[in-house]
Amino acid sequence: MAYNSTTVPHHHHPTTSASHSHGGGMGNMMMRMTFYFGFKNVELLFSGLVINTAGEMAGAFVAVFLLAMFYEGLKIARESLLRKSQVSIRYNSMPVPGPNGTILMETHKTVGQQMLSFPHLLQTVLHIIQVVISYFLMLIFMTYNGYLCIAVAAGAGTGYFLFSWKKAVVVDITEHCH
Amino acid sequence: MHFIFSNEVVLLFDFWSVHSPAGMALSVLVVLLLAVLYESIKVGKAKLLYQATVGMSIPTSQLTEETDQDSSSSDSPPVSRTRLRWFFCHFGQSLIHVIQVVIGYFMMLAVMSYNTWIFFGVILGSAVGYYLAYPLLSMV
Repeated sequence: MAYNSTTVPHHHHPTTSASHSHGGGMGNMMMRMTFYFGFKNVELLFSGLVINTAGEMAGAFVAVFLLAMFYEGLKIARESLLRKSQVSIRYNSMPVPGPNGTILMETHKTVGQQMLSFPHLLQTVLHIIQVVISYFLMLIFMTYNGYLCIAVAAGAGTGYFLFSWKKAVVVDITEHCH
Repeated sequence: MHFIFSNEVVLLFDFWSVHSPAGMALSVLVVLLLAVLYESIKVGKAKLLYQATVGMSIPTSQLTEETDQDSSSSDSPPVSRTRLRWFFCHFGQSLIHVIQVVIGYFMMLAVMSYNTWIFFGVILGSAVGYYLAYPLLSMV
């Protein structure tokens, strides 16, 4: 019920919230519950980042677009890195004759060694970055600002278009090898 | 901010405001179908990618057939044609990805209305979509 009382006065927010936009405390006075198009007093993640002009909105659009593109690229880069490290593990493994004539691939790496290996540490760091960016994008979409939501979606599409091209080629190559 | 059972909710857009049990049932159905669509797109995208890579791995035999059939054309037009087809295929995949991202965010925002009926709709739709779509992927 508490949120009903906070959302109702927002129909006349430009007059009320403009006066205490820098008042601190309740920073999310702009909390909208439906999509809208506007560039006045849009808070972007941090208290210092308040969009008030069309130019600032254009800058934020480009920034969000690039962030979403980077997110898609990071996802695909992580995938291909993982595949590469798995392939190198497979090449390092030794064929060992198993029971009844089969050949088992034996890797000489324990769980601890795998955890301390450089590829795994790199994956972990990239995972942290990915989680942070994905939460940022989610929070940006949650502003319900039409321009920013379009920036997120268009950035995701463009990033997927540009980077998964390479991924498809990589998949193609691995398909050829086997 | 907590979950409530209510027949009144405003979802995503100004015009999508619900005030009656019938409207709520309809909204839950729409959200459910969105969730089913989301799961289907997820599976369909993987299937498309698989088919595209399989299709692209055997272009040489197709190319020789094509050059045999129409002898007037040189080697370069079929190559550019498959490249063009590949481009459109990839472009379509990117569009599908955009739709997937947007529906995913819409579902998150719908859940964030903290309406329990809508929440059930999303969960049930996700379950139904997963249940129906994943057997279809193994049919490749």
